[in-house]
Amino acid sequence: MKKNLLYLSLISVFILAAGFVVMKYKTSETKKESAVYQLLERRGAQAQTEEWTTTKKAAEKFTTAIEANPYDKKSLVSLANLMVMEGRATGNYTYYDMAAMKYINNVLAVEPNNFEALTLKALVQLSQHHFADGLATAEAARKINPYNAFVYGILVDGNVEMGHYDSAVAAADKMLSIRPDLRSYARASYLREIHGDYPGAIEAMKMAVDAGAAGDEATEWSRVQLGHLYENIGDLKNAAMQYTFANNERPGYPYPLAGLARIAIAEKDYNKAVAYYQQADSIVNNSTFKGELAFAYKLAGRNAEAKKLIDAAIKEMAASAKAAITDESIGHYSDKELAEIYTRTGDYDKALEHALAEYNRRPENIDVNEMLAWAYYKNGDFDKAIQYIKVAHKTGSQNPTLLCHTGLIFLKAGDKLQAKKYLQDGLKSDPNIFAALKNESTEALKQL
Amino acid sequence: MYLLAKKIFIFTVLLFVAPTLFAHSINYALENAPAKDVVWFYLTLGFTHIIPAGADHILFVMGLCLLSTNVKTILWQATAFTVAHSVTLALSMKNIVVAPSAVVEPVIALSILFVAVENILLSELKPWRILLVFLFGLIHGMGFASSLNEIGIPPGKFYTSIIAFNVGVEIGQIAIIGAMFGLLIIPLRNKIWYRKRVVYGMSSMIALVALYWSVERIFFSA
Repeated sequence: MKKNLLYLSLISVFILAAGFVVMKYKTSETKKESAVYQLLERRGAQAQTEEWTTTKKAAEKFTTAIEANPYDKKSLVSLANLMVMEGRATGNYTYYDMAAMKYINNVLAVEPNNFEALTLKALVQLSQHHFADGLATAEAARKINPYNAFVYGILVDGNVEMGHYDSAVAAADKMLSIRPDLRSYARASYLREIHGDYPGAIEAMKMAVDAGAAGDEATEWSRVQLGHLYENIGDLKNAAMQYTFANNERPGYPYPLAGLARIAIAEKDYNKAVAYYQQADSIVNNSTFKGELAFAYKLAGRNAEAKKLIDAAIKEMAASAKAAITDESIGHYSDKELAEIYTRTGDYDKALEHALAEYNRRPENIDVNEMLAWAYYKNGDFDKAIQYIKVAHKTGSQNPTLLCHTGLIFLKAGDKLQAKKYLQDGLKSDPNIFAALKNESTEALKQL
Repeated sequence: MYLLAKKIFIFTVLLFVAPTLFAHSINYALENAPAKDVVWFYLTLGFTHIIPAGADHILFVMGLCLLSTNVKTILWQATAFTVAHSVTLALSMKNIVVAPSAVVEPVIALSILFVAVENILLSELKPWRILLVFLFGLIHGMGFASSLNEIGIPPGKFYTSIIAFNVGVEIGQIAIIGAMFGLLIIPLRNKIWYRKRVVYGMSSMIALVALYWSVERIFFSA
């Protein structure tokens, strides 16, 4: 009798506990749904700009309109768009992507085929590295409005990330035919770079910069990309000039600061590089900058600071990646970045694990194949490394890092002829690539 | 009473029936792989999801083994568990029934705790144990689905992948039951202290771990 009572109590406790779990979940979901996302205060020079004042005013206007009418689709879309732009300006993608997604989903809940909301959703999904989802959403938006250049831009990005390069080129052609502007020129440049045409890529990126207003985020982003193209062909003077221009035109913009830091590393001025990276890191919370700052610390001999920062960057990326698995509406897939950081820190098993995770998502992408090949190389499996590095060359990319990786892989696999060819091509213009890789490649070439 | 029951029904349906948002993820890497490679990949994945990766599933199956010393009875329970988790795994991956991991994971921990405490409270297996195991299997299946979603399923190979994964899980479970019977239950079941030391001892340990997981997953998971 006593045991039966205890058993009944056990069943009751189980039901109550399970009910509590469900209620707790529902409460947290309701809280999330009713959460109001405010703009976060900007830091440093970015807080002094006129654009920040305008952004705050616009956010206030949209928020007030939504408070008055929660189904005001126009204001919801505008606020979501503003959150996306703010995420890009400040680098706080975690917060602003979540904010944007909430407002986008509010629109889609009442109008599932809202073109603007679908386009923004695709944009946020790409920003979170949910590339297959982003591409599918962009396709759905294109079906609704096949005459919008912006959606073709997202299709270019999504197809590139998924490794569907022919579809990306077709979407870029369509985008250019609808609206030749900064965004479409920038995409043309990127595709030319992927296909190994550096002069063509530089020409198109110059057109993109010229098509935008100086100081605008999109213009300065393009200018930074132009600088990066110059770095890859070893023209550090022009690269530094582009970064300096961008830094002057848009003070407090972190990406030109990171570019200037890379130039400083090439000039072996490691303390200057650290200062630039620190400045960039103080403006935005970007794990890539943290990783690069850590390696600059290492070069400057500040190993303890380097280790602390690498650990923090890995922790942050892993947390974001975990969030991406548990809640598909937020969280950034970071496996490629984690694989890269682990190959640099010598944790090759983990590097391979993350490279494979990313490969499972996008086996056609050339950068992912390169990353996987490099992880296999570091693990001593040269046959597999060759298999994947060959896929990484399918577009004819002349990226110097890819060429050096390929040369080193062929060398270890015993094909000295191919190794020499790739290493010579990779190093011929003295590109500004990761210092350790450049040294390893230069030493290997000397022996051939 | 009827209204309350209706409300609970609607609430449960809304919780578990997924909107189209939750489509299963795609494993593009195996899209063009031969069927035998896909089978081997998901079979291994299913097995490793139990041994060594599935500590919670291991403890659950160990808990199931402790209330009876009859291998046939345990295998029936394991079969009920497998049928149940196969159903929800397939339905979840097909985007028909999906529950958030914030609900599934704590309930899985609670189910382990339940089975462990039941082992201590009851002296013999009751006929409804198989029904409880079936119900818990439904929940565990949704947990398997969220893990399988991390890897994804190749396009056009849904059933091959799901069946291979389930077979892998089943082999893992049989391995645990085999180890429990081979190493513990058969050699010790006739000892006078078997129930006191083995059943109570192991069930208490399982209950403590499950209690820890329950608290952690309910209150401290992100």
